Amino acid sequence: MEYITLGHMSLLLGISLTVIGFWGILTQKNIIKIILSFTIADAGVNIVIVSLGYVVGKTAPIIDNAVVQEAGRNVSASVVDPIPQALVLTSIVIGFGVTALMLAFAMKMFTAKKTLDINQFNELKW
Amino acid sequence: MVTPIYIVATGLGVGFAIGILKKFGKNFTGALVLAALAFMTFISFQWFYGLHYGSEVATYVYTAGFKPPFSINLLMGQYESIASLMINAIGLLGGIYMFNSLKARGSDAQVVYLILIMAMNVLVMTRDIFNLFVFLEIVSIAIAGVILLEKSDRSMSAGFKYILASGIISTILLLGIVFAYYLTGTLNIDDFVGISLNTYKGGGLVIFLMMMAAILELKPFPANGWGLDLYEGADPGISAIISGASATASLFVLYKIMAFAGAEWNYYVALIGIITFVGSNFFGIVQENTRRMLGYSSIGQIGLLMVVLGFKDVLGDSTPFILFGLLISHYLAKAGLFWLSGIIKAKDLKEWSVIRKHPYFLFLMGTFVFALIGFPPFPSFFSKFNFVLLLTETGNIAWVIAILAGSMLEAIYLFRWFGYAVKSENSHIEKNKVCLHKSIPIWIMALALYGFSYYTSLSNPWSIAINFIPLAFVALLFVLDFLPVYIKNSLSILGMAYYFYLVYPQLDNMRLIFEVIFIVGGILTLIAGFAYKGTRPGFHAVALLMFAGLTAIIEAKTTLEFFFGWELMTAGSYFLIIRGKRSMTHALSYMMFSIGGAYALLAAFGISNVGQINLDLNQIGHISYLSTWAYALLILGFLTKTASVGLHIWLPGAHGEAESDVSPMVSAILLKAGVFGLVLTLIAMNGSDSQWSNLAYALGWLGAITALSGNLMAVFQEDAKRLLAYSSIGQLGYIVFALAMMTHLGWLTAFTYSINHFMYKAILFLTIGAVVLRVGTHDMYKMGGLIARMPMAFIAVLIGIIALSGVPPLSGFAGKWLFYNAVMEKGWYFQGIIIFFSGGLAFLYLWRLIHTIFLGQLKDNHRNVKDISIWFAIPVYILIGGIMVFSVRPDWVLQPLGNMLSPFFPTGQLNWDHSYAYTTLGYWSGTNVFITIVILFLIVFGILALSTRKAHKLKQFDITYSGEKPFRPETTHVAWNVFAGFYKAVWPATIPLVAKFWDYVTDFFHDGAGFTRRIYSGNGQAYMMHILYFIIITYIVIIGG
Amino acid sequence: MSIYYKLGYTLLGLLIVLNWGMLMSAIFRKIVARVGGRYGIPYYQPWIDLIKNLGIRTTLSHGIMFYLGPVFRFTGAVGLFLFMPVLFGNEAWANFSFQGDLVLILYFQLFGMLGMALGAGEGGHPHSAIGISRGLAQHAAIELPMTMGIIALAIQYQTLSISDIVAAQQGSVLNWSIFTNPIAGVTILLAALGAMGHSPFNLVKAPNEIPIGPPTEYHSTFLGILMSSGAILHVMEAVLFMNLLFGGASNWFEMILKTFLIYFYSVFVGVVYPRFRIEQSVAWFFKIPLLLGIIAILMYSF
Repeated sequence: MEYITLGHMSLLLGISLTVIGFWGILTQKNIIKIILSFTIADAGVNIVIVSLGYVVGKTAPIIDNAVVQEAGRNVSASVVDPIPQALVLTSIVIGFGVTALMLAFAMKMFTAKKTLDINQFNELKW
Repeated sequence: MVTPIYIVATGLGVGFAIGILKKFGKNFTGALVLAALAFMTFISFQWFYGLHYGSEVATYVYTAGFKPPFSINLLMGQYESIASLMINAIGLLGGIYMFNSLKARGSDAQVVYLILIMAMNVLVMTRDIFNLFVFLEIVSIAIAGVILLEKSDRSMSAGFKYILASGIISTILLLGIVFAYYLTGTLNIDDFVGISLNTYKGGGLVIFLMMMAAILELKPFPANGWGLDLYEGADPGISAIISGASATASLFVLYKIMAFAGAEWNYYVALIGIITFVGSNFFGIVQENTRRMLGYSSIGQIGLLMVVLGFKDVLGDSTPFILFGLLISHYLAKAGLFWLSGIIKAKDLKEWSVIRKHPYFLFLMGTFVFALIGFPPFPSFFSKFNFVLLLTETGNIAWVIAILAGSMLEAIYLFRWFGYAVKSENSHIEKNKVCLHKSIPIWIMALALYGFSYYTSLSNPWSIAINFIPLAFVALLFVLDFLPVYIKNSLSILGMAYYFYLVYPQLDNMRLIFEVIFIVGGILTLIAGFAYKGTRPGFHAVALLMFAGLTAIIEAKTTLEFFFGWELMTAGSYFLIIRGKRSMTHALSYMMFSIGGAYALLAAFGISNVGQINLDLNQIGHISYLSTWAYALLILGFLTKTASVGLHIWLPGAHGEAESDVSPMVSAILLKAGVFGLVLTLIAMNGSDSQWSNLAYALGWLGAITALSGNLMAVFQEDAKRLLAYSSIGQLGYIVFALAMMTHLGWLTAFTYSINHFMYKAILFLTIGAVVLRVGTHDMYKMGGLIARMPMAFIAVLIGIIALSGVPPLSGFAGKWLFYNAVMEKGWYFQGIIIFFSGGLAFLYLWRLIHTIFLGQLKDNHRNVKDISIWFAIPVYILIGGIMVFSVRPDWVLQPLGNMLSPFFPTGQLNWDHSYAYTTLGYWSGTNVFITIVILFLIVFGILALSTRKAHKLKQFDITYSGEKPFRPETTHVAWNVFAGFYKAVWPATIPLVAKFWDYVTDFFHDGAGFTRRIYSGNGQAYMMHILYFIIITYIVIIGG
Repeated sequence: MSIYYKLGYTLLGLLIVLNWGMLMSAIFRKIVARVGGRYGIPYYQPWIDLIKNLGIRTTLSHGIMFYLGPVFRFTGAVGLFLFMPVLFGNEAWANFSFQGDLVLILYFQLFGMLGMALGAGEGGHPHSAIGISRGLAQHAAIELPMTMGIIALAIQYQTLSISDIVAAQQGSVLNWSIFTNPIAGVTILLAALGAMGHSPFNLVKAPNEIPIGPPTEYHSTFLGILMSSGAILHVMEAVLFMNLLFGGASNWFEMILKTFLIYFYSVFVGVVYPRFRIEQSVAWFFKIPLLLGIIAILMYSF
């Protein structure tokens, strides 16, 4: 039987967060809460990315002295996969951008109608 | 060769530089953006040029000095270069178009715009899947950013819905990417193509996530409410970019992901595409808001492109041709239309009438609309033709039906819109101000459309044969539109005469007959055009367009040429018809029936092409697959033009409301195009070994019922031109019936009727049209007694109605006599009797026509009208000469006709003994009868003249009525509702069941779409829900199912 | 036979037909009067009327078409005579029927009608137009059963030539179409009631209410010509039905007897039945006669 590793747990956490985030997007009426739900989902996805790159017993892919000493010449064998880590950085940046943009929209929408209820913004339809 | 990395570098570099150079002012930064875009366009153009002409090969560009998987690589191949060029070109033109609006939003907006275009380039070129994700996000952020920087708050909610939706979509993509990496250890698309993701555990889900994201980016129906809101809410400049560039890039993304998704996805992509195409266009028909309607159209078009992508394995080598033909047409036309919608600030479709105040814009709009629907000569025409042919050939008939249905729906709303623009009231709307920089990009799009049209037709091996000379002549007339009528008219007549001289030696006798009707008839009716003053804008070009189409179907050797001509003719006649004062709705219904008919033809050509190596028109003579269906479709298609009952409701209005010299063109001449088509079909059917006798039998009944209903309706018309229009329906019913008999005599009858109907209907329509021009009304009861003022017109109508009624000695009797013999010989007695009874009804309306207009009492306001214009009288009297020749020597016409038909129907011919015609049943000598009657007539006339030689003419009211002399013509002229008694007896037969049926169909669709489109509630969360449902349902269908 | 002989015979025949027609119309008026309890006109009244009308020199006309109306009408009537084989088996009295068949006769009937309608129309009198509109409507209705009956006969004999149809009926009375093809025969005879234009189908002229319909404005010479045309037409219609149904005629006596009976069949129906309104008469032809016509055709369709 396989052990439930840290990797599995964080994967589960990430997926749960994503689902919760989507649930929030679909149910919350307040635009700010919708945006928050989006960031939760985004965070969930990021956790998924990181956890997929995790390998039991290996360290962070930062090549400092500790790593070099431990692994000798074969650096790559002792660290986790670096690419997901790089991806998640990009993903976080993009998530930041999108969230900021959403908030900017929320601000403008509020200025227009003095409300943040998403049900009030349906003049474009059919 | 500048490497494509400079596209990215320029975008980013200039973007950053503007941050520093802001202080030089927004004009400077704007110009800098344009310069950057121009440079990017140049780069992609030189790659396109090099790759297309083979001086370059597809090249990978590696970034950061490493090769994949350690870095990101870009690919510049042939397709990439085209897509990139399209994106950059529209970026540049859009930048010019939006120069002021971007400037107003500040230099930040200019930067965002530039980044948007650059990012879309990367979407196209990148071979790294994560990079794809990043730039997908950059594109959404940039689009949302440009919207955010708008000054108005109107589009904010649309922007928010958009960014929310694209956030969710890219989250899905990201999940897919991460798992893909987890499984394979690579992010490179080329690697994915090499290994099969499906073989990994969970690989199917990974592909599913990525495909879902790529498809959702294309706004599939119905998970696309956010996209529609964006199209409606955003600045039209942005909408143009989204529709033109962003859709192109997203399509490219789908193309790249499909490359490794596995062939089983093709079917689903096509399925989602077709649902989108049909569904979106279905909702489009109830739109009143222009931009939202264009949004529906855009989404629909992308759906169609998805279908093409889904069928790429089936279509094989033709895929690029079909795909790019459709894409280019959509890209150019939709961008042009969105840009136009930014200049013509009309929200409601009806307000587009203001475009008439800018005639050149109307021309552009027409160009774009016709290109979208797929009319020739635009690339979409060739693409659709190829697409349908290939789909049919591979047995995908249901797909063909769905595609044609979707196109039909799209045509409904686009042409309704165009109709509003051409015809609806515009005096209350102020003319818009037009800036040069806004109109230039639109012009470029339109010119590019024409350029590509020519290029496309060259690149299709079958379309090279198409004769573009008539079309070039039409274009010349468009250019010379500012000249006065008499120059353009002379030019048109000379052009047509010369063209006739060129082509007539190449035609066989049967085609020659129709060519004479089309071209000589056209020249005759054009002579009447000299009666008009001024420039008569647009008339000559569209009239010649119709004649170009007509001659093209005559000359056609391949089905493609035929269909090309058919559609040109439809377009030209549509423009002619819509010129009438109250023709808007009639032109629309004409167009709808024509397009429906054309699609039936297209489907039939597709079927007939199965198993044949070429597009030769003769292939319809040996159809191997579903032949009965193919013939039924062909017949159906042609019957829409002959206006047989059930498909006739467009005709009375279209012909009745048309201009005086247009009515004869569309009635006497145009209807014969349908006859020509039927003739071709039936000849092919006759020679083939398929079971067609039931089809012909049904056609015979249809013709008979058409004749009856057309003539019966004509009896009760108060409008002279509608009366003649209904009469045309009836006459065409005779012809259809006679053709359906499929015997020598039947066909002889049909040709006799075709020739006769051409002559007398042209005479009647020209004369009545000329009278209408003088008296200013179509209503017969408002006229009366005009014989005193218009003897020339009276004689023409008299000859016309005698010929039409079939009374000896004029040529109409030849048709009647042949009819009796043919019917007796064939044994179709009941149908024949219906036909003869219809002939009896013709008397009623013919008498009404001549009596209520020319006889009875002259109205006070017509006491000083002049006789009809000499320009109308000339063609009329030439045609009368023709009728006289036919009447005196019917053998001159009938004998060659008989010889022409003998190869097709060798038995049961008409025998000739000098002037005597014999069948097994009867005999007749037209010449002798004519002489006898004329001599008799002259003798009686002489005697009467001798005995009444002192007679003088009475005054109008020298009659006694109710014991005194009447003094008002209105009370004495029996004209209105003159067949009231007859109506009381036959009214149940006059209920317009067909019109009611079509009304019901229209309402059904309209109400259905109006109700169902409420799923687009405008609520952002509902849209997200749609996305979720879409994913779940697709999952169940594809993976669960 | 030279064309001059032919013309001579034709003229003679025309004269006979004209006088016979006038006599028939006198008898008709006499019968109607007697049924109505009046004494009626003398038998020679039509000749007196004709001479009177032709004797008056008119100086009035409503215009050229008005003028041409009677010309069309008379040409139509005489033409019908010309194209009809009046006596069977006699080249001289077959007139010019070699120029065309039954179809020519059917359509040439309309020649006079059309011209008359137009001429009367230019007269400008409302009664003319009212009469014509009714006449056309009724004619259209008559044509439906009439065509059916005639087609049934043409199917029976497989020819459209009147001479051949007559020839096929020779030999015995029982060979007449009315006996060999009774349904088609009855259909034609019912339709003939309308074609003859007596009550109940005489609303076109409606002699009592809108004195005399289409010819209202015609007088003197014009009227004379119209009267002669009417006389010829009545005979010729009877001749047509005689040829189609009753074996034709091989001599003038037979022809006079048969046309008399055919003509007075319609007259007697007329004096018994009151007049139909126009919608009634149209509807009437669409009932029994149409049904019979359909049966007559159906018999040959299987």
